[in-house]
Amino acid sequence: MDNTRSSVAITLSVWKALFLREAISRVSGARAAWLWLLLEPVAHLTILMVIFSTIRRRIMPGFDFVLFLAIGILGFNLFRYSAMRSMAAISANRALFAYRQVKAVDVVVVRAFLEGVIQLFVGLVTFAGLSLAGFDVVPHDPLTVITVFALFWLFGTGIGLMLSVGDTLVPEIGKVAHLVFMPLYFLSGVLFSPAMLAPGLRELLLLNPLMQGLELLRAAFASGYHVVAGIDIYYLTAFTFASLFFGLALHVRFAPRLVMQ
Amino acid sequence: MIVVEDVHKRYQTEHGAGKWVLQGVSFTIQPRVSVGLVGRNGAGKSTLLRLIGGVDVPNRGRIERRCRVSWPMGFGGGLQGSLSGRQNAKFVARVHGHESDIGDRLVYVADFAELGEAFDEPVKTYSSGMKSRLQFALSLAFDFDVYISDEVTSAGDASFRAKAAAAFKNLAGRAGLIMVSHDENTLHQFCSAGIWLNDGRAHWFDDIDDALKAYKESIAA
Repeated sequence: MDNTRSSVAITLSVWKALFLREAISRVSGARAAWLWLLLEPVAHLTILMVIFSTIRRRIMPGFDFVLFLAIGILGFNLFRYSAMRSMAAISANRALFAYRQVKAVDVVVVRAFLEGVIQLFVGLVTFAGLSLAGFDVVPHDPLTVITVFALFWLFGTGIGLMLSVGDTLVPEIGKVAHLVFMPLYFLSGVLFSPAMLAPGLRELLLLNPLMQGLELLRAAFASGYHVVAGIDIYYLTAFTFASLFFGLALHVRFAPRLVMQ
Repeated sequence: MIVVEDVHKRYQTEHGAGKWVLQGVSFTIQPRVSVGLVGRNGAGKSTLLRLIGGVDVPNRGRIERRCRVSWPMGFGGGLQGSLSGRQNAKFVARVHGHESDIGDRLVYVADFAELGEAFDEPVKTYSSGMKSRLQFALSLAFDFDVYISDEVTSAGDASFRAKAAAAFKNLAGRAGLIMVSHDENTLHQFCSAGIWLNDGRAHWFDDIDDALKAYKESIAA
């Protein structure tokens, strides 16, 4: 008597159920939760604009500073939220492992996917708003923009897969990750361009694939943007696929330990 | 049929590996057999149920489920507090592949749990009795070959208990049952065979009375 479902069918139905459930709690969890999702980057952008326009009146050559900041914030947020939200996925969904169909990797992947959808939506609304306010937000190389955003999202997913295993097995890893993300924000060049840096420091900071990705995005938005040497989309791509591979490998290796109590 | 072979289990504690809860447990449960698990507190009854239900994995040995086995019912988990009873029920239906007849399942769950309007309120507002009624209704809403129950019949008020008992009786013809209960009458009512857990080992009895007798003798001694 073997009337069980195939593994693929089970996984697909679990992903669908998890996605709908996560989406509901994300969008209707707290009062006007969907509004806060949109307000967060807008408030972030507004504060930075006020600070930068009063403290330092430096204008980026060939680039609107508002757009410059918006690209940096949206790109970095996409990576950060994909990584951080999926890192917390296992502990947040522990109750669901009561259903053995639900595996640790499922909750992480579904969360990262939902985060990508949310950030895509937030990005579209932000750019639409900027466009209404009179900024020129139409990229001259849309294909690169889409590719780099997709890479940011997948890179965040890969890091999230790795951190979710780390955080579950060694809780200290999660705490350290939270500490690291703050300086990473500054080191990724959300607020500045590597062209502003001294040559020695510039090469050092360009080792960060996120910094490279943000530069690629800016260049794809404005054709007149001056890009420093040593930026390559394959660098970010390599990091992305390495992190995905390593993250999935960790999930395979530690699968029983992750749902065990 | 469920095959449990040489299963060892211990839990990870703050200070390294804990002591063995199960040490070399082996038995086979034939289809449509109702089994009661007995043993003193901490003997590993709930642990064994969780292992059979696939919620946890053994450190050594293996468990084979050649049929559809329910999740361990009534162990408090599996519900998300911020979502309503209906949303939780939808989730469970989807996970178990009942996307197509989700409407019928929801009607059944709402009907059986008798939550009324609370069915659309967040689960965190439920009393513990309401929660276990929802869980019980959920597990009955799907067809399994073996149902796993951890003290679930002791949930709810008198009228719900009677209803739950009747529903369990109905299952007996088409499905198996593995249950933990500290209530002897409950075990007599539902189980034919018994497993006595003692010192990390399992002893199989074809008659639940013999299992209870062995258990009681071990306490008296």
